[in-house]
Amino acid sequence: MKIMTDSLIEVRSLRKEYSAGIRKPPITALDGIDFTVREGELFGLLGPNGAGKTTTVKIILGLTAATNGTAFIGGLPVSNAESRRRAGYLPEGHKIPGYLTARQAMTIFGRMSGMSTNDIKQRIPVLLERVRLPQWIDVRVKKFSKGMTQRLGLACALVHRPNVLLLDEPTDGVDPVGRREIRDLLREEAKNGTAVLLNSHLLSEIELTCDRVAVLRKGKVAAEGTIDELTRRTAKYKMIASPLDESLVAMFRESGAGVERVNGHLVLSVTDLAHLNALVDGLRSRGGMLSELAPVRSTLEDVFVDLVKAVDQPTEQRQ
Amino acid sequence: MRVLWANIEDVWREAAARWTLIAYFFLSTIVIIIFASAINLDIVDGALAGAKLFGKEVEMRGSEVSIEKLVLGVESGFSAGLYLLCTFLSIFATAHLVPRMQEKGTIDLYLSRPVSRTKLLLSRYFAGLLLAGSNVFYLLGSIWLIVIWKTHVVHPRFLVAGAVILFVIAVLLAFAFLIGVVTSSTAVSIMASVGVFMFSGMLVGHDRIAAALSREWQAAIIQTLYWVIPKTAELGAAVFTFVSANSFGSKIELSASPFITTAAFGLASLTLAIWRFHKKEF
Repeated sequence: MKIMTDSLIEVRSLRKEYSAGIRKPPITALDGIDFTVREGELFGLLGPNGAGKTTTVKIILGLTAATNGTAFIGGLPVSNAESRRRAGYLPEGHKIPGYLTARQAMTIFGRMSGMSTNDIKQRIPVLLERVRLPQWIDVRVKKFSKGMTQRLGLACALVHRPNVLLLDEPTDGVDPVGRREIRDLLREEAKNGTAVLLNSHLLSEIELTCDRVAVLRKGKVAAEGTIDELTRRTAKYKMIASPLDESLVAMFRESGAGVERVNGHLVLSVTDLAHLNALVDGLRSRGGMLSELAPVRSTLEDVFVDLVKAVDQPTEQRQ
Repeated sequence: MRVLWANIEDVWREAAARWTLIAYFFLSTIVIIIFASAINLDIVDGALAGAKLFGKEVEMRGSEVSIEKLVLGVESGFSAGLYLLCTFLSIFATAHLVPRMQEKGTIDLYLSRPVSRTKLLLSRYFAGLLLAGSNVFYLLGSIWLIVIWKTHVVHPRFLVAGAVILFVIAVLLAFAFLIGVVTSSTAVSIMASVGVFMFSGMLVGHDRIAAALSREWQAAIIQTLYWVIPKTAELGAAVFTFVSANSFGSKIELSASPFITTAAFGLASLTLAIWRFHKKEF
């Protein structure tokens, strides 16, 4: 069964429970998550340890079965092995057998993906060039550094020209130059129409690479959107004005706004734009002069930490 | 076919890199050299020369034995030894195939390919069988050729006995795969396979054991075990009988039952291994 959809990866109401032992309630790893990754999109999956990121990826690849819900790759249910025909995967802490050379590893995985010998032969040098390993083509993997193994893993994931790429901590152990090259490579893949699902703890990597992000928390999607949408979510504004005396601060606080003094200016937390305008009006009515008013953008790390720390009462109760 | 080829390449490269292949063929080569040296002794040379000169017969314990029958006798004795050697070597050389594949970080690389789990496991099984089979035919083939070269007696049944040995290896490999899928342990796979082989030898006397037992249910267990577990001892005897038939007046008397029940055990093991591998979460 193939469903018609714009999304190359589609996850619907995915739920996964693990048995915790006899007479113990099951552990919920995923609690009905939904998301889609479209063609040419770089999608980041964020979350603290145990949030369900790797479980999600494993279900998408058929390594683990979902308790409920469905996932599709290119419209095919993941229970169908054919769904993986155009999917490339780089697992976290992968172990490409050390006795193989780069060429042999790529040949074996290429064959397992249904490629012909000639096609593999042509593809190997091109990919090793892209991951900066051309001179290591006939060296055994056991001699590779961690960063090199990671880059070879990426080449193996790309060998069969997938249009869906799932990467678990792809820059783990890679030097800064290598990280940038991997980012460029992923962007290039996305530009060619590949849907990329990136699973990482490195928020800066996600921020620099991804178009859209989902934050998982206790098996649920706590937030989803573009980096811009997520980091603009909090209504904080920087205000530079004079005079910024205590009576003004008191007046702002009385209106319900959060006020912080930072390096001679105020950071205001307001409920909405009308609230902000009311504060500006209050300043002007007291004869104050406004010289700067700008939204304060949170970093993705701020958003992440806030979301992870936030109390999710229903989930807490369930667990 | 590409998946099978990929697995064959993987299994052979691993065997070469881990010295298994070298040790496997080194031990086999030693056996071949010992055999070649034994058959090249002056006394054997003399007897064979005499036999060739005087009507192809040699004197053994006062009676005349034709050289063909002598060759059959030597080959049948050797085939029984080779049966044990080939079986044990193949268990040691292939028991790691599933546990190694199921290691964390490795299994993801295999299962993320567009290959069904059944196909993956069966491809690995046939790759392992090919590795074991190549050694069986290297050993038996070399000895067969040495005998032909030395005596000019061509006895194809010795070579065909390799098929029976390979059949037993195939059954034990299926069992090792089942244990490997369940436990992910090479050591346990080896212990279980060798254990089944040994236990089966003990159960040859199942009728006498059952008769000696005081309770009926105990006897029933022994009889059931006998029919369930592969008949490695009977099959070893079958190899000997098959090769030695017509040598000392004996005729081929092979029963199909050990072959059928052993094949059923192998098939059941492989089916269970596939079923468990399908259910397993990684």
